[in-house]
Amino acid sequence: MIAQLILTILLTSILLYSWIEYRRAPVIGVLSMLAAFTGLYFVWVPDHASWLAALVGIGRGVDLMLYLWVVISLIVLLNLHLKLRAQMEVITVLARELAIANARSAASPK
Amino acid sequence: MQPDPGKCIWVVIAAYNEAGVIARVVAEVRRRGYTVLLIDDGSADATAATAEMVGAVVIRHPVNLGQGAALQTGIEFALHEGADVIVTFDADGQHRVADIDGLIGALAEHDADFALGSRFLGGAVNLPPARRLLLKAATWFTRITSGLSLTDTHNGFRAMTRRGARGIRLRQNRMAHASEFLNQVSASRLKYIEVPVTIEYSAYSLAKGQKLGNSLSILIDLSAESLHR
Repeated sequence: MIAQLILTILLTSILLYSWIEYRRAPVIGVLSMLAAFTGLYFVWVPDHASWLAALVGIGRGVDLMLYLWVVISLIVLLNLHLKLRAQMEVITVLARELAIANARSAASPK
Repeated sequence: MQPDPGKCIWVVIAAYNEAGVIARVVAEVRRRGYTVLLIDDGSADATAATAEMVGAVVIRHPVNLGQGAALQTGIEFALHEGADVIVTFDADGQHRVADIDGLIGALAEHDADFALGSRFLGGAVNLPPARRLLLKAATWFTRITSGLSLTDTHNGFRAMTRRGARGIRLRQNRMAHASEFLNQVSASRLKYIEVPVTIEYSAYSLAKGQKLGNSLSILIDLSAESLHR
């Protein structure tokens, strides 16, 4: 029961994160929402996790949960990559403005 | 053929550590009568000073951002300075200055907004077979993604009218900008034309050019762009 509560808190925080990210990166938002909902479902209905794990050849429900966690981590990693790209775009705009302003001030009569 | 005196034509060259060749490249374009705008993309050598000495207008990026970012800087600056036509030209000396006239002429002749150079309609001197194969694969990929019917898609030698340039906003800082440029040409619905040009590969330009590994980076960059707003 304690493990279920801890996992529920963690997965709920991922759901919140997905909702926040949805506006900026819809694909990431939807993917992490799906993964978090699936995780929540299996945390509270573990028999279904075992059934699905056996169906897809993973073996145990707990292994399925582990794989799900890896998927969530990869989605978060991808999102971090996208955020870094967005920051690079901001840096590029700043550097461009600076470069153009410097060129103009160098060209203008003193 | 000399440039039309009634037109304000800017040749934009993005350069990164090209001090060894940039004087010759800029001087040749200047001799043809064009204004050269060199974007020094955070070079550690004397690229900017050398280009300035031979008559280029120089803009310096404070840090290295990539060729796509440099070209966008050049396009924005040239537009602000009143350019009617903007030509993008490589810094490593593999483009022929004489072909600039052909690109600009094609814009007027076909009433197009983009004249895109094609080495496969013109010539590719000393192009290694592996590079040719890679370029052909890139061409097919870009034809599918952009919907443009082109024979050469990763060619940095192109000319655009003021109207065309205003429709370009490159966000891909690095090599994926070539595909992004064509996607934006397609999205603009403005008229484009392919023009034969000759690219002369040298040991220097091949060493600085794209590698097979860059193709994967380009694919990742293009995919990542579609994932966020």
